[in-house]
Amino acid sequence: MCELSKRGVAAAVICSEPFLGLAKTQARVFGVPDLKIILIPHPLGGLDLDGVKSRAKIAAPQAVALIRELMA
Amino acid sequence: MSTFDEWVRAPDATVRVEDDYRKVNQLFVERRWSDGLPIVPPTAERVREMLSYCDRPLNEPIAKMAPRYGEATPIRLAINAVMAGCVPEYFPLVMLAVEAMCEPEFNLYAIQATTHMVAPLVIVNGPIARELGLNAGGNAFGPGNPANATIGRAVRLALINIGGALPGTGDMATAGAPSKYSFCVAENEAENPWQPLHVERGFSVDATTVTVAGTEPPHNVNDHWSISPEGILRMIAGTMCTTGNNDIYFYQDDVFPQPLVLFGPEHAKTVADGGFSKDDVKRFLFEEARVPLGAFSKEYIELRYHVMYAGASLDTRIPIFKRPEDLVVAVVGGAGKHSLVLPSFGGTRTVTRALKRRDGQLVRSIEELHQLTADAASSGTSRLQ
Repeated sequence: MCELSKRGVAAAVICSEPFLGLAKTQARVFGVPDLKIILIPHPLGGLDLDGVKSRAKIAAPQAVALIRELMA
Repeated sequence: MSTFDEWVRAPDATVRVEDDYRKVNQLFVERRWSDGLPIVPPTAERVREMLSYCDRPLNEPIAKMAPRYGEATPIRLAINAVMAGCVPEYFPLVMLAVEAMCEPEFNLYAIQATTHMVAPLVIVNGPIARELGLNAGGNAFGPGNPANATIGRAVRLALINIGGALPGTGDMATAGAPSKYSFCVAENEAENPWQPLHVERGFSVDATTVTVAGTEPPHNVNDHWSISPEGILRMIAGTMCTTGNNDIYFYQDDVFPQPLVLFGPEHAKTVADGGFSKDDVKRFLFEEARVPLGAFSKEYIELRYHVMYAGASLDTRIPIFKRPEDLVVAVVGGAGKHSLVLPSFGGTRTVTRALKRRDGQLVRSIEELHQLTADAASSGTSRLQ
């Protein structure tokens, strides 16, 4: 995602809460400290379909907002 | 060219702290430079002494350590080796182990950051393992041997301080493992009825090597009853056959897991005396170490195995590893009817590296490196001045 972001592509990482620290550290390491992060509740693994959909409902508006922000 | 003294004088190269054991350790814990155990304070003099067995340029990275991709220079590694309690003679193996685990196929990034409990295991082979007194025999994974304990700990401290494997941000292990403090053994070559690990991998018998493997801690195979190769190997296969290990988890993906079987010497002797070569062992375990599909949960089968085993009978036997040659077999330990199984991280390959001088020649003894370093210093070509 950092490489895509460096090339000007609208890119973001979907990340659950406990992994936010790792995601921010890695973005900094790879030279994109302001990489967009879409935050969802933990966990993502081990969910049934309704659980996955509930995460998608939280992630989708953030993705739309980020795209609008980049297009503005 | 910068000297060690110039490096020490550089801004931010050192910190000042009262010469008090508790305060030094408190500082290191507060700054997250510690594994939690007390450290030996890495004073400039101790670090300089640690580097007296290093014939490399002191401030040139030998590797970059994920996930921070910090530069592993000899000086930085020496600081961690001092903290771990290494004597300088151990330092070349610390550097070699770090170099090996930064090879791309080892996949250090994933090993460091994963929620899995994996830690890099360092297996030392060759004459310098014996020269340094590494324990390959009884309690090889246990306490009591300073070389095993401190080389393994130095690697861990480097993984934390250079690689950035800080619990919670760079190391996301769900529960971790005690092997994340120290994880280093030598192979018991004297009681290995087959080729030692490094010779099997194409190195000469007089080479000293480290093999790094991303594994779980050892799982025991207690077998006081089998007296045939097939009997012992069947017991080992049974111990390998768990549903929740990462080797079988990665089975569907384009990776080739390398679980380890570390034979106790008594089991190894029985198997070899019964006519089994190491390749025979690998082939036998490839066929026998299989988990029936029905042992997995219904959901696991539906979600993980829905493509490869769609419509398969619940009696279908799923191998732990994909090819016989991927299994890593070595001999570790002393008296007793026990062997060890170490499931791997799955998405990693083991790496073996030989200890070489800067000119590419094999190091024949650890004192040879000391002399080379001293000669370089006296001729003015060393950066350790």
